[in-house]
Amino acid sequence: MTKYLLGVAAIALMAGSVQAEDTSGKRIALSNNYAGNSWRQAMLQSFEEVATKAVADGVVAAADAYTTSENQATEQAAQIQNMILQGYDAIVMNSASPTALNGAVQEACAAGITVVSFDGVVTEPCAWRIAVDFQQMGREQVDYLATRIPDGGNLLEIRGLAGVFVDDEISAGIHDGVAKHSQFEIVGSVHGDWAQDVAQKAVAGILPSLPEIVGVVTQGGDGYGAAQAFKAAGRDMPLIVLGNRQDELQWWSDVHAESGYETMSLSIAPGVASLAFWVAQQILAGEEVPKDLTVPFLTITQDTLAESLETTPAGSVANIAYGMEDAKEVIASAK
Amino acid sequence: MSTQSASRTPLAVLISRPWIWSWAAAALAFAATLGLTSGRGAGELAYAALSFGAFAAIVGMGQMLVITLGPGNIDLSVPATMTLAATLALRTMGTEPGTALYGLVIALAVGFCVGIANFALIFLLRLPPIIATLAASLIYQSIAIWSNRGLRIKPPEGLAEFATGRFLGVPNVAWVALVLAILVWVLLERLTWGRWLLATGQNQRAARLAGVPVEAVRAVTYVSVAIFAALAGYLLASFSGGAALNMGTEYLLMSIAVVVIGGCSVAGGDSNVPGVWGAALFMFLVVSMLNSYGTGAGVRNVLTGTIIICIVIAASTRRARQ
Repeated sequence: MTKYLLGVAAIALMAGSVQAEDTSGKRIALSNNYAGNSWRQAMLQSFEEVATKAVADGVVAAADAYTTSENQATEQAAQIQNMILQGYDAIVMNSASPTALNGAVQEACAAGITVVSFDGVVTEPCAWRIAVDFQQMGREQVDYLATRIPDGGNLLEIRGLAGVFVDDEISAGIHDGVAKHSQFEIVGSVHGDWAQDVAQKAVAGILPSLPEIVGVVTQGGDGYGAAQAFKAAGRDMPLIVLGNRQDELQWWSDVHAESGYETMSLSIAPGVASLAFWVAQQILAGEEVPKDLTVPFLTITQDTLAESLETTPAGSVANIAYGMEDAKEVIASAK
Repeated sequence: MSTQSASRTPLAVLISRPWIWSWAAAALAFAATLGLTSGRGAGELAYAALSFGAFAAIVGMGQMLVITLGPGNIDLSVPATMTLAATLALRTMGTEPGTALYGLVIALAVGFCVGIANFALIFLLRLPPIIATLAASLIYQSIAIWSNRGLRIKPPEGLAEFATGRFLGVPNVAWVALVLAILVWVLLERLTWGRWLLATGQNQRAARLAGVPVEAVRAVTYVSVAIFAALAGYLLASFSGGAALNMGTEYLLMSIAVVVIGGCSVAGGDSNVPGVWGAALFMFLVVSMLNSYGTGAGVRNVLTGTIIICIVIAASTRRARQ
């Protein structure tokens, strides 16, 4: 199948114009490893919306989402094997591990199935990767703090879930940024597990032993908890970089109205699942797509806060719905 | 506990209590953290420990009752119960002021139903509790996801103020946990039902032959743990600004750890309320201490594990010698 597609692409290229292949008979599956937080729920919803519409419009024949009950690579590998047997043409996946699923992905490739991984990407070369530059996400936070607090000061770092690739990447970016802006020093580091209540607890525990903090660098889903902990301790509110959760944006908007507090917020939009869907569709349509694509993260500034807050459902995450055109743009920019 | 305690010095009596070890460890962790700041922030740290320790203490006491039932008895649905009760309660309240009590009733009702369902699986289907509660927790978690799609609803303002507020300098949530601790202590030490629970845990067959209504005791215990978890979920969601799908995750191991560190017997039949409270404070303080000293996540986990093993050994060798 892959050879056939490549052949078609090659002929099309030789003819001078890329003739998109019809994908109305193709079936796409989403393999998802976890559903237990608001980001993942928004991601599943994004996929569902785009997929339902694409099926109704006759762009693809089917687009089904499957989530494993436990966040485990073995279970997801079995799920992918089932998808191979069910005869899907493409699998879009958010992987439980960058390496543990390579075997299953290889089997899918061997069966002629297009595999597109996003967010949690896989290293298997036959799969496509839609990755976020997580290190850049860390660096950008410190760059922003440097523009707001030129004199520098003490920072508190809230990390994610220990042992997860994304946590290491963002943290590496943050430390990189601090090395560049040497007026800052990280005086404390806690693991918030990307959950507000865990972050709140960890920050409340370390605060008594910390000197004055000017800024808090975060990973998303932990900013509101940190703010609560600072408030409970009766400390001056530092500049907390937020992670696009609606409760964080609401809090930001409230304190801005009260005291003119300004910060920034950044995270990956859960809609990246819909982007992955369209990339898979483009590959099935015979487009030549580079294996490594990068998706920009969604940044919210003081100027865009009101708008983002309006479009984000209460309790959810700020999101972008990607369409086929966006996918074509991302593909074109990677070529 | 020991018939010889009268002839021993007060210190020896104190050391013979299995709960002393968790309190000693909590005090050490507290002192070590303050050693870093040369005493600054003591009140702040104690206040935070009481706030967050309260949640661990509430779920821990529930888990303690189940573990006291004897070998094989455990409730692994604690995190899912917390999430489900909090999600449904906060959704029903929908940030409307004055609905706090209504939400509490919903949360406790969820706890009650979960407890009944867990016990039904264990009693009617004869499933081992570890399997029954683990399988059921997948269902509870799915209901929580399905009912609200992971949206984080804020608690009503009055309830949030209560959950984060203080009375006489002590966090309100700690008062709640303290009152519960006294109730559980009276139940275990002074009432017939407590004797039945301990007898069942020590030897179920002997207890049954002695006329203890063993199945009724088990049923009430499994309902109690679920209600405790539901209450903890309700308070935690009100405290931290909303129910999240992953809010209960860390309370699975936490609830079991505080029981073990608190000096209760894992084999059942021996419970210890003050120890659970000490262990709940310790679990918060040890992480705060290691964070304050700037240890990485790996080292922190290794040290936490090592310290827990040491406390459990200390507490259990004392018991063995009696």
